[in-house]
Amino acid sequence: MKVIELIDVHKIYKTAYYEVHALSGVNLSVKKGEFVAIMGPSGSGKSTLLHLIGCLDKPTRGEVKISGIEISNLNDRELTKLRRDSIGFVFQQYNLIPTLTALENVELPLIFCGMNGGEREAKAKELLKQVGIEEVANRKPTELSGGQQQRVAIARALANNPTILLCDEPTGNLDTKSGEAVMKIIRELNKNEGVTVILVTHDPSLSDFADRVVNIRDGRIEVEDVS
Amino acid sequence: MYLELARRNLQRAKTRSILAIVGIIIGVMAVASIGIFGNSMRQSVLERFEDLADTIIVSPKHSEGFTEIDEDDIKLIKKTSYIDYAIPVKDKREMVKYKDSKAFLTVYGIDEEDLKKLYEPYEGSIKLKGSAVVGYQLAEDFGLNLGSKLTVGGEQFKVAGILESQGISVGLSPDNAVFLSVEDFDKLFDRGYTSVVIQVESLDYIDTVEKSIDHAVNRRDEKVDIRDFESLIENIEASLSTMTQFLTAIAAISLLVAGVSILNIMLMSTMERTKEIGVMRAIGAFRETILRIFLLEALILGLIGSVVGAGMSLVGGYLIISMMGFTTSYILDLSSVFYVAEGFSVGILTAVASGLYPAWKASKLEPIEALRYE
Ligand SMILES: Nc1ncnc2c1ncn2[C@@H]1O[C@H](COP(=O)(O)OP(=O)(O)O)[C@@H](O)[C@H]1O
Ligand SMILES: [Mg+2]
Repeated sequence: MKVIELIDVHKIYKTAYYEVHALSGVNLSVKKGEFVAIMGPSGSGKSTLLHLIGCLDKPTRGEVKISGIEISNLNDRELTKLRRDSIGFVFQQYNLIPTLTALENVELPLIFCGMNGGEREAKAKELLKQVGIEEVANRKPTELSGGQQQRVAIARALANNPTILLCDEPTGNLDTKSGEAVMKIIRELNKNEGVTVILVTHDPSLSDFADRVVNIRDGRIEVEDVS
Repeated sequence: MYLELARRNLQRAKTRSILAIVGIIIGVMAVASIGIFGNSMRQSVLERFEDLADTIIVSPKHSEGFTEIDEDDIKLIKKTSYIDYAIPVKDKREMVKYKDSKAFLTVYGIDEEDLKKLYEPYEGSIKLKGSAVVGYQLAEDFGLNLGSKLTVGGEQFKVAGILESQGISVGLSPDNAVFLSVEDFDKLFDRGYTSVVIQVESLDYIDTVEKSIDHAVNRRDEKVDIRDFESLIENIEASLSTMTQFLTAIAAISLLVAGVSILNIMLMSTMERTKEIGVMRAIGAFRETILRIFLLEALILGLIGSVVGAGMSLVGGYLIISMMGFTTSYILDLSSVFYVAEGFSVGILTAVASGLYPAWKASKLEPIEALRYE
């Protein structure tokens, strides 16, 4: 079953002075439970691709289908709902809310879908435990190491039991050791929970974690390695 | 939880939040205390005037060529029911001299007993047999004492009494006047009665009394003018409230300034938190959610500022009123509560209104742009 399907997707950014063809005719399908790594140099369009899959943006041309739903026809509210209920994001810069504690950051998506206080806290604690940092639940992001922050971000991404986990250079700001730990957590999630994972990176060493590697260059998919 | 989030965001930029709150406090204080002040002033001025409201003044109708009121008509007026008294008075502008001082002043001719009904002596006693009674201000200006010999129209009169200062008064202006008996007045001047001061039993009878005088005296010719002070009081009330409104408008400018500072602060906050907004939108926050968080921040600023400002406005109002020399007894009046409530709600409204645009702007951010923002 295809969870993600991109058909001849183009993305053109128009600025005042020039146009950027960030994606030029991308075709991609991802099956449920797959772990796909998207590799390519900086500026090749990886983040753009991930944002389209994550319903943060719409393609200039072509179709993006998430669980069979074509996103071009959805309004802002419907896209938001789709993000909230089906997609988890993990960013390179962690992007935690600085005023909230680790636990509260994980609770945030649960608040957005209206879960009540007690249930929310229990679930968030459970998630922090799952990523192995329940002991720092009450610390603010600034009191956490990079690796810990990224784990909080993963826990937050998982809060609404998403079908798709989108990771944009999740180890980019981490040292090798904590990077590896983070990658292990992501792979465990994929293996044990069946979460579909799209990993964007320019680091070839991460390709080992993936079922499949998609190479992207200048907005086009080059070779597909099937392992 | 949104409340908690808003609170922490405000705490993060503490100095800024405090400045915004101070702005609101000042604005609310200004609006409410000026309201309280204006109200107190109105009440105390009106209180003085209300004593005069049951007075009717009858004077000759100059527009019809009448300059005096006939003795017969005065008799008719005195017979009117529902009145405490009707006092006929003669007056003339005349040169008054004492030692080196001289001035053209109003000289009244009035019955001694009648003058006693109108005013209390401050010094001496009200005696008009060959002597004069003078107003407080005149005594002050001329340096008159009891027994001083005052020259009026060439004749000398001993000052027998000095009246209490009246300030605001209707009909007669006693503070700068000389009172003589009607007999003495008639020796000096050839003049009939020029007004009748009528005290009505109660305010309810004003119209009735006016109608019956009109009926009795103005039957054939429009001989006299009949005036009461209801409309005067209404005029004073209107001009006082215009003044209060004007002051309140000035106070409102300070709230406007507070509003602009909140707008500014919140816009800065929106900019700084662009990335956070993007993250929240990415993980499932609707536009309304963002809007709500920002409006809540504005509301909290407004609420704190307004509560403190409202409390302080009672103190501020007290200070202004006592500084201006009005009675402070109206501060805890129900109407003061109204002005405090007004300041309070205007403060909150200002804060929320100023938060509206930044909040709307924040909610309109495209998540993708917000995430790219560094
Ligand atoms: N919002 C945007 N406006 C203009 N150009 C953009 C925008 N987003 C991305 N780009 C451009 O599109 C290209 C692809 O960017 P991106 O997808 O971020 O690449 P990657 O993540 O592989 O580094 C780059 O040249 C980038 O500068
Ligand atoms: Mg990128």
